[in-house]
Amino acid sequence: MRNRLLLTASALAIFAALVSQIGPISRAQSSGIDTYAITNARIFPVSGPVIEKGTVVIRRGLIAAVGSQVVAPADARVIDGTGLSVYPGVIDANTTLGISQPPAAPAILVTRATTTPPVGPTPAPSPILASAAFYSAAHPGFQPEALAVDSIQPGGTAIEAARSAGITAALAVPREGILAGQSAFINLAGETSQQMIVRSPVALHVGFTPLRGGGYPGSLMGVFSALRQMLLDAGRLREANQIYARSPRGSRRPEQDKSLVALFPVLARELPVVMQANSEREIRRALDLAEEFKLRVIISGGADSWKVTDRLGDVPVLLSLNFPKRTTAQMAEADPDPLRVLRERVEAPRTAGRLSAARVRFAFQSGAMTNIADYLANAAKTIQNGLSRDEALRALTINAAEILGVSDRLGSIEVGKIANLTVTRGDLFDRNARITHVFIDGEPVDLKPAAPDAPGAGRATGTWTLNVNLGESDQSVTLAMQQEGETVRGSIQGAFGSAQIANASINTAGELRFTVPVTVGGQTTEATFSGTITGNTLRGTAQTVGGSPGTFTGTRAGANPAATPAAIPAATPPATPPMSGSLSGVWTLSLAVGANMVSGTLTLAQQSATLSGTLQSPFGTTELTNGTMGANGFSFTTSAEVSGRVVEMTITGTVTGNQMSGTINSEIGSTTFTGTKPQGSARAHLSAW
Amino acid sequence: MKGLLAIILLFAITSVAQTARAQTSQQRREPEAQETLIRNATIITVSHGTLENSDILLRRGKIAAIGQNLKAGAGARVIDASGKFVMPGIIDCHSHSMLDAINELTLSVTSMARTRDVLNPNDPDLYRELAGGTTTLNLLHGSGNAIGGLNTVVKIKYGRPIEEFIFPGAMPGIKFALGENPKRSNLQIATQPRRYPATRMGVEEVIREAFTRARDYKAEWDEYHAAQKRGDKNLIPPRKNLQLEPLVEVLEGKRYVHSHCYRADEILMLIGIANDFGFKIRTFQHALEGYKVAKEIAQHGAGASIFADFWGYKMEAYDAIPYNAAVMTRAGVNVSLNSDSDERARRLNIEAAKMIKFGDMTEEQALKMITMNPAWQLGIQDRVGSLDVGKDADVVIWNGHPLSVYSRVDTTFIDGEIFFDREKDLAGRAGILRERAQLEQAEPNRPPAQGGTSPATPRGRRPAYLDDDDVWDGGNNQR
Repeated sequence: MRNRLLLTASALAIFAALVSQIGPISRAQSSGIDTYAITNARIFPVSGPVIEKGTVVIRRGLIAAVGSQVVAPADARVIDGTGLSVYPGVIDANTTLGISQPPAAPAILVTRATTTPPVGPTPAPSPILASAAFYSAAHPGFQPEALAVDSIQPGGTAIEAARSAGITAALAVPREGILAGQSAFINLAGETSQQMIVRSPVALHVGFTPLRGGGYPGSLMGVFSALRQMLLDAGRLREANQIYARSPRGSRRPEQDKSLVALFPVLARELPVVMQANSEREIRRALDLAEEFKLRVIISGGADSWKVTDRLGDVPVLLSLNFPKRTTAQMAEADPDPLRVLRERVEAPRTAGRLSAARVRFAFQSGAMTNIADYLANAAKTIQNGLSRDEALRALTINAAEILGVSDRLGSIEVGKIANLTVTRGDLFDRNARITHVFIDGEPVDLKPAAPDAPGAGRATGTWTLNVNLGESDQSVTLAMQQEGETVRGSIQGAFGSAQIANASINTAGELRFTVPVTVGGQTTEATFSGTITGNTLRGTAQTVGGSPGTFTGTRAGANPAATPAAIPAATPPATPPMSGSLSGVWTLSLAVGANMVSGTLTLAQQSATLSGTLQSPFGTTELTNGTMGANGFSFTTSAEVSGRVVEMTITGTVTGNQMSGTINSEIGSTTFTGTKPQGSARAHLSAW
Repeated sequence: MKGLLAIILLFAITSVAQTARAQTSQQRREPEAQETLIRNATIITVSHGTLENSDILLRRGKIAAIGQNLKAGAGARVIDASGKFVMPGIIDCHSHSMLDAINELTLSVTSMARTRDVLNPNDPDLYRELAGGTTTLNLLHGSGNAIGGLNTVVKIKYGRPIEEFIFPGAMPGIKFALGENPKRSNLQIATQPRRYPATRMGVEEVIREAFTRARDYKAEWDEYHAAQKRGDKNLIPPRKNLQLEPLVEVLEGKRYVHSHCYRADEILMLIGIANDFGFKIRTFQHALEGYKVAKEIAQHGAGASIFADFWGYKMEAYDAIPYNAAVMTRAGVNVSLNSDSDERARRLNIEAAKMIKFGDMTEEQALKMITMNPAWQLGIQDRVGSLDVGKDADVVIWNGHPLSVYSRVDTTFIDGEIFFDREKDLAGRAGILRERAQLEQAEPNRPPAQGGTSPATPRGRRPAYLDDDDVWDGGNNQR
């Protein structure tokens, strides 16, 4: 019995080993296809001139052929690349992609020994043969021996989002610490971490953030002192090892320390050091430290690097595309932002162009941006601010590969290199470009179909008709929303009263959340709505304070252009003038006034090209004048009393189905509005059409 | 002749110290080429009286001549200073301006921390200090530790790279602290364990223990060097200890001690340690009870860098008197008035003026407390602190007597270059407003349409009953 058990156990173990051995092979064969050809595409090899119409052949994970005369092999799955552009796979040169969250920081012991830093000397038996153990390997914040590869986890939403944004490979950097550890260059696909690794270690990473919680170093000054001491200690251990190796007899052996040993390749300039530095003085300090210890340094972040180009010389920069922007709300009592901050926000997209002009080597990184879809959009902003398209593409591909030591296998479309490709419809840097295919290690990866085509594409924008059930019966609510980036504003109107929504957010997966006060049975309480937008439908749950969970479903009135696949032109309505009477009816308007959404009602009567009616808004009810309807839309004027004075307003807009949108111009400013005609009248309108 | 020798020697030391950095980073800028002649001014030399209707010539960064009817070369900037006063740039012997971190609070001995690593040349306080006639700062580590970090002496060359700020040849220094701050009586952080020491006894022990270690460390290296000389093979050098090296320098007289202190007993305690280990204290900082032990301070040869009339803001500050400076001066102590505050550093002339009221100091004695005396305390007395031919052209033009509250600075020169000019400042303000208005229109500067975070609360001003040592703002900027 016991033997049988043992036998079974060992058989299982062998089987498990076999399975793990054949894992990668089975993956490559999972689709049964390992050869692809993208034909008739515009190809940007980066290593050479653009091929206006050519073919890229991928076989067994590598680029097998590229050129205008290349013919797709018979066994290849052929992708018709007409209208597509093929780029080397986009690289993000500094991320925490795949790196699992670290466990809680170990408690720091503070004892009598606090007069001596943890870097202090241990008692030495002889003054000359002092111990080498100056630095505990477990000292929090200083773990140069930590390897990113040991904590990489495949899959996950962050990696998926990055791939959907066109990113194929990244530098994975340990998350925390002053000496955070050593990074790995990974491909963003693979079932195991081992499959993902392209090269490891790539560099040692230094952040200058002091430790929290009372341990040394607790200030920026201490950070520099501690780094300096540790590098000195490593240098001494290296020297002591060499002396001891020459003549072990008669000397005490130097005590080894894995943290210090991990710094040997750094001191030998074999392993570069990536230092996190953004402001001019941070960069200068980092360069000073690197100079002091003759380190091979790479600057990461680099916001102010354009001010230090003379000093940088051939030091490369991993330039963050996470551009700063104002996040604080408009508030009268707040201090204005310092001039320096205002300048920095405006200068940020100009840095890349300036580095290029000064011939400083740089690659782009996402810099922990919250919405990875901004990565390419912000790269496009650097082009609008002085960087050439060619240089921007290089900063996303070959430059990153060169700086991170993988240009022999990645970064350009050349035969024999890893088949990482980013394929778009439209130019990569075009606002309206759409990522159609991403190949990693020669395999196409699934892209999230719902990924926004461009940042700020308001997938939430529009007027939604919701059916909300908070426990008793379905109630009808109109939800008007406008999305800008990740922020959403809007208001509800209907069975629960009228109110502004608050705390609204939407992520790239279309997950929407907001809170809003609702009035049920005379009681006003706050409800939290969370749901998912899929095309023009919205469904999720609604929860009131103290109430039982409810549900809601909704549809968007009309089509949202951003959510409509660009490939289906039929979805775009013809631009012919609507027939007489099509504008007539009662429209619910939603307009932005300052930071608020305001609702209004527009009652229109259309007589061929003439419009008349009334506008009801928080500013009162006013008659429309000069109303006309033409091929390019409608316009009318009206006036309203705002803050005690009469303001003339000119309103222009266009109509699509039962949706309208346009602009209100007046002497006190301009704003945009959207409008919808409730279902009943919309149906009437459709039948008339 | 002796002075000339000293200057040559100083240059030699300076150039050695500078070589390392200059070779690798930016070369030091050439001295200001343009000559400046300030004419018809009342010149307060501080060192040799006040000269009416006189001229002062600044050439190649130095004071080239002082006298009447001076002639400038072609292309010189000539300033008519009729009715105005010219005095040397003010030296602030206790400042925490331009420091991105002030206190490494985690340990009781942080002599490895260096203010030089965390300087911010863009700190706007520097410009305000220039506008108050201050040209040189002694940037000190905070007072949270018995033995703190290393100081940096800078000239306020606002707008220049950091390398140009460093005062060449200034004596290196280190901050010590005694009393309430290092024993953390008033700075206990609830979430963190209590740090040793918690009493004045403990503070003394920490300093003695550190110097004992420093002495052993020096012996360890001496032994190594001796073994090297004997020709021993395969020697592994001792560990270079960044915490103890500065203390060895103190023992060797190569580094000044600037010690924060309040009470007479702790001043005597530190003099005792210094005598036992054979080093000197260069300055007692604050020294609110210095008047009680003025004789002992003078005997030790230390200076005192103090507040004019600021006390009662904590237990150990109750016994201070505004006559402190006068009493110590009469006992032969070199006394300077410092700011320890970015705000007070803009008006140190007023602090000096108070000394005429409190203790009948002469104008010259009062002005020395913000010029020549702090220059001596920092070991830069041959370069700055008075208007003498051959000294650095760190010169300030005032529109009235600098000891009057109604006077203000027109122009501040450092090494013969203008770093503050009131007229230019006024003329530039409209441009700044225009730039701001323009920048605020730019897309990334506009507030988010919805859901923005609320703006940060403006940083509170220091309560009047606290000095900067007592202001806790999260650890990194604690002074």
